[in-house]
Amino acid sequence: MNRIFEVILFLIPFIAQLLLLPWVNKADPFVIGLPFFFFWWLLWLLATPFFTLAIYKLRKNRSTRKEQR
Amino acid sequence: MSTSNLALLITAIIVFIVIIIGFISGSDKSSRESIEQWSIGGRNFGGLLIWFLIGADIYTAYTFLGLTGYAYTLGAPAFFACAYAALAFPIIFYYIPKIWSVAAEFKMTTLADYVRERFDSKFLSGLVALVGILFLIPYIDLQLAGIQNVVKVAGHGTISPTVILIISFLLVGTYTFFSGLRAPAWTALVKDILVWVVMLFLVIYLPIKWFGGWGDFLHVAAEKYPEYMTLPGHGGGHGSFWFSTAAFISAVALFMWPHSSTGALAAKSGESLRKNAIALPFYNILLFFITALGILALLVVPGLKDSNSALLILIQKSLGGVGQGFSFATIMLASLVPASIMVIAASNLLATNIIQDLFAKSMQQKKVTLMARLFVFLIVLLALMFGILFPSSIINLQLQGTSGIVQIFPAVAVSLYWKKMNKVPVTVGLIGGLVMIFLAAPLHLPGYSGFWGILVNIALILILTPFFAGKTASSDNKVVRFLFEN
Repeated sequence: MNRIFEVILFLIPFIAQLLLLPWVNKADPFVIGLPFFFFWWLLWLLATPFFTLAIYKLRKNRSTRKEQR
Repeated sequence: MSTSNLALLITAIIVFIVIIIGFISGSDKSSRESIEQWSIGGRNFGGLLIWFLIGADIYTAYTFLGLTGYAYTLGAPAFFACAYAALAFPIIFYYIPKIWSVAAEFKMTTLADYVRERFDSKFLSGLVALVGILFLIPYIDLQLAGIQNVVKVAGHGTISPTVILIISFLLVGTYTFFSGLRAPAWTALVKDILVWVVMLFLVIYLPIKWFGGWGDFLHVAAEKYPEYMTLPGHGGGHGSFWFSTAAFISAVALFMWPHSSTGALAAKSGESLRKNAIALPFYNILLFFITALGILALLVVPGLKDSNSALLILIQKSLGGVGQGFSFATIMLASLVPASIMVIAASNLLATNIIQDLFAKSMQQKKVTLMARLFVFLIVLLALMFGILFPSSIINLQLQGTSGIVQIFPAVAVSLYWKKMNKVPVTVGLIGGLVMIFLAAPLHLPGYSGFWGILVNIALILILTPFFAGKTASSDNKVVRFLFEN
């Protein structure tokens, strides 16, 4: 369960930034003053590290649980 | 004093101060004695210093001049750099701490060292080193071009091109020769503080000065240049497929570069690398705004022939002498510091993994270190010659290099996880991948050439590996034992 969750966390930024392009490739609507395509890149620059952080926490929990056993 | 003289003077003073800091931090003789000391700082860098060191080779002349230049000519496709800079880190989070632990255990200083021991093949490691050096040369040239562009623009065309070439050569060569990795690590600190201050200032001030704010600036841009707002950009050559393949391959390639891995191997622990994989990307936020400044330059100073100078000319048109001086110095240091890290990595590869491993096995360690330090001048000279022979836009140099360097990924990273890998299929795959990147253009394949290269590379490895499985299973190898028997 834990591992599947990890794989999903890993894949989401890749799907958002590599596979969804045809759907986000537009100038309108402007979000926070940015054309939509521009906004998309700012969003994922900020969001991607949090996915890595979540993976880090997940793995850390797993290894401490292993040690306790 | 005129504005331009003041700018030139301030630039020179700041660059000079930083170089002195570099000389002082590298003046300890012990920092030059062994390859491990000179090239990876004795594997002794804590989390924060690593942050600056790795940050130093991501934020280079390529970022400031290349990306703004790319946005200036093409528009939206330049954002592929944001995608790759973000995606590189979840990938390295997994394999960089792992390769660090192998390198620390067996005292390795380069990725080629790892390949040599992992596959018991000096030919394969020599090949990996050669690929590293060959594709680093255009990247180093790109940093030299950054220095040259600054001097050219700051000097208002009054400084002769030959003098500019000599300045860039001496600056990078002597700085690197005397100080090794310790100097760029400490000067990277100063450079990074300057980068943040100057870039935040430019990013906030320039749109306000010319258009009243970011929202207004981009509305004007969207009206005047609608084709710059989305893919495939101006000229129409860079669609979604190109964007995805270029971003993905560049992300995978980021830590295959000898200079990035130099930074990573200098870390004190694998844990500090994992934390950096989370913290470093916050550095990337600037990347977005810098790219957008290319669009601002398009509106303010349209019609430039040399797009690589777009940001510099925008700065010259927008700021007074002091502002120009600080900005130019920052961009110059953003070329000098990474150039130095790259040159160290390339000369180390040449001395250890090619000359010592393949031709002079019994050479004393002290001599190898001295040789590596002397190669600094050779590498800088080669990069200069490359630039004179093949002038090209900054971003194209970087993209070509990336296609090539990513081909070592199976040998370096996949081999950490896949026990059955054998040197023969990996060598064939690497060569096949390299050939493929040069065939992609004549075959009219869409997208990014490195992508087709890595497909061929991996396909060859998958097809050939079963034939060598027996051989791999029967051989005894300390690195394989270390990786798979814990």
